Amino acid sequence: MASPRQRVDQQPGFILHSIPYRETSLIVEALTREHGRVALIAKGARRPHSTLRGLLMAFQPLWLDWSGGGELKTLIRAEWQGGQPLLTGRALLCGYYLNELLVKLLAREDAHPALFSGYAEVLRDLSQGQATEPLLRRFELRLLRELGYGLDLEHEAATGLPIRPEAAYVYDIERGFVPVNPTEGGAAGVSGRVLQNMAREAFTDPETQQQAKLLLRRLLNHYLGGQPLQSRRVFMELQEL
Amino acid sequence: MSPTSLDELIDALRCLPGVGPKSAQRMAYHLLQRDQRGAERLSKALSHALRVLRHCARCNTFCEGEVCERCASSRRDSRLLCVVEMPVDLAMLEQTHAYQGLYYVLMGRLSPLDGIGPRELGLEKLIARASDGTVEEVILATNFTNEGEVTAHTIGELLRARGLKVSRIARGLPVGGELEHSDTGTIAQALLERRPTQEPSG
Repeated sequence: MASPRQRVDQQPGFILHSIPYRETSLIVEALTREHGRVALIAKGARRPHSTLRGLLMAFQPLWLDWSGGGELKTLIRAEWQGGQPLLTGRALLCGYYLNELLVKLLAREDAHPALFSGYAEVLRDLSQGQATEPLLRRFELRLLRELGYGLDLEHEAATGLPIRPEAAYVYDIERGFVPVNPTEGGAAGVSGRVLQNMAREAFTDPETQQQAKLLLRRLLNHYLGGQPLQSRRVFMELQEL
Repeated sequence: MSPTSLDELIDALRCLPGVGPKSAQRMAYHLLQRDQRGAERLSKALSHALRVLRHCARCNTFCEGEVCERCASSRRDSRLLCVVEMPVDLAMLEQTHAYQGLYYVLMGRLSPLDGIGPRELGLEKLIARASDGTVEEVILATNFTNEGEVTAHTIGELLRARGLKVSRIARGLPVGGELEHSDTGTIAQALLERRPTQEPSG
């Protein structure tokens, strides 16, 4: 159990979101390697000459020191780790989407070191201008797996037989991938070939991109329990303008 | 004075940013006990401002008429439009005396995680303003925060698609800045965004 005077030093982390607090402070949500998502109060971070100002930026690798045993801890120090260009353009919008998923789906102080590495990796790839869609899909799959909602992309539900590339499947949240009865019609489902590609994290072909996007969106919406994603709404509004 | 109106005043003061119950109470007692004339002035100024101030039809900043003085001035270069987040940013740019064009004040920035999107920010108004046929170049002078950057990117895309020339203010070391005393993030970005030095002309 956490002692009230617990102190953490030099913890690798990223800022996910920050909100103003009182006159000059910030409350930041950070994703850290060994402590998961933590809420930190950054005292005086909004003062004009604060050393924290400009440092507590999302998408940049930091080292964080904090203390406190409650839910809201006190940030003591943040150090810029660097080595990564700032996100710009579309990659930046994608970054916001990832952060919103993490803020809404991760429980506080639940460590996911593998997810942390995956997040650091996807930010690095985004900052280097790689195609965004495959990166997002890979991260969504990893996120579901880390949360304990991993998909069995290789076996049919009930029978346990391997997924057949030529068959079509629908995903049942309780059971897994169930073959669509061709005579039933209705929902088109996901092709077995797409599932096999997803299992290999290969999201390059257009059919896989499109079907994986819809499938993962449906699953994420389910686990978000009806909470709308603001970043997705903003993105859609931008398309309309 | 009945306690209800006192409570009401304290409660009303809490709408100011950074003012909690304690500060609100202190302010209320100060206004009522020590500075009634100041309180009178504040109340008049507030209701007057609320009555007469509105957003300039062209640059969106606060003004008293339909169009603010700057936008109405003939000395300004109406081919240039500089987009800033807040009126304070406009004031800073004006202090430079380096810019003769016009402005557009967003009165905020996009913030996807806080649900502030193009609709909340009223980007249609900016699009309409920039496509008036006179504006040739739009200069994006939003902050170099992630929110400022996403705002600049979005506006840039929207206006470029409408055939306007769009530029972004430069980022790097401050004038008179020394590497030794600059923060690592700024130096790193200045290196990434380096540019070839100009060949001497002639």
